[in-house]
Amino acid sequence: MSQAYMTSSTISWEGGVSPFGMSWQKLMMWVFLVTDALLFAGFLASYLFIRLASGTWPDQGDVFNMPLIGLMTFILITSSATMATAVGAAHRGDLKTAIRFVSYTALGGVLFLGLQATEWTQLIHEGARLSSNPWGPSAFSSFFFMITGFHGTHVLIGVGILITTALRARAGKATSEGVELVGLYWHFVDLIWVFIFTTFYLI
Amino acid sequence: MEETISYRVYWMIWVVLLVLTLIMIGIESLSLSTGMGILVLSTAMMIKATLITGWFMHLKYETRFIMLTLVLATLLTAAFLVFLLIPDGIAAHRMMEYPR
Repeated sequence: MSQAYMTSSTISWEGGVSPFGMSWQKLMMWVFLVTDALLFAGFLASYLFIRLASGTWPDQGDVFNMPLIGLMTFILITSSATMATAVGAAHRGDLKTAIRFVSYTALGGVLFLGLQATEWTQLIHEGARLSSNPWGPSAFSSFFFMITGFHGTHVLIGVGILITTALRARAGKATSEGVELVGLYWHFVDLIWVFIFTTFYLI
Repeated sequence: MEETISYRVYWMIWVVLLVLTLIMIGIESLSLSTGMGILVLSTAMMIKATLITGWFMHLKYETRFIMLTLVLATLLTAAFLVFLLIPDGIAAHRMMEYPR
């Protein structure tokens, strides 16, 4: 590498956290979240395409247990608020509060997964399968299981990471940035649910 | 990242998110037209997404560079998917209804 290039490179970036103003770990988490968002964007776009192309589509109010979905949404939003509180506490150096709120967040995730399992069980009992369902186009249940299944897997992984973070923090091994990175992932899971809830359950 | 965001801010956003969710569920009982219903739901969805990314994920407190990188990339992708696939979906439906 020439000296001139190195000088130019040093002037334009100077290493460290520039130009994004954040650590590489956090930057990579954002990059991961963007790529993961593209996955869900692909799912939802293909769902909208098939729905428009199908012409007929079941009325979600007749198929889904909306109070249950509302409760799931409430739990996920609440867990996002507890996670934000945990991140705030970690940045203030209040480890005890951070661990407590990370644990509340994990509990919210477990509750969400329990309710999702209930929802899946109800629909499977009513005849919903990956390739067929009693309400109309087969794509309806295909998309339902695929989209909510992928999201549920993200929640499950998030619960695992949250529990690990709480245990590591208790052992004095977790950093405030570590808690923040988990927080980014968890809020992303909530963000994706906002889109699924609107486009799949309501519109 | 801004490190001094009050806990109160997070819980105020939580209240707003819950109110928006209730409004979205309640839209069903109103006799809105399909277009108006989609418009209201999409607006509420985008407000919720902005609150989550801006405050819960602290994007509002990051540098403008990262904010523009993430937001522009996401908006361009969304626009690409919506304006390319939705007209195609409608066209595919018409072709099935009125085959040549």
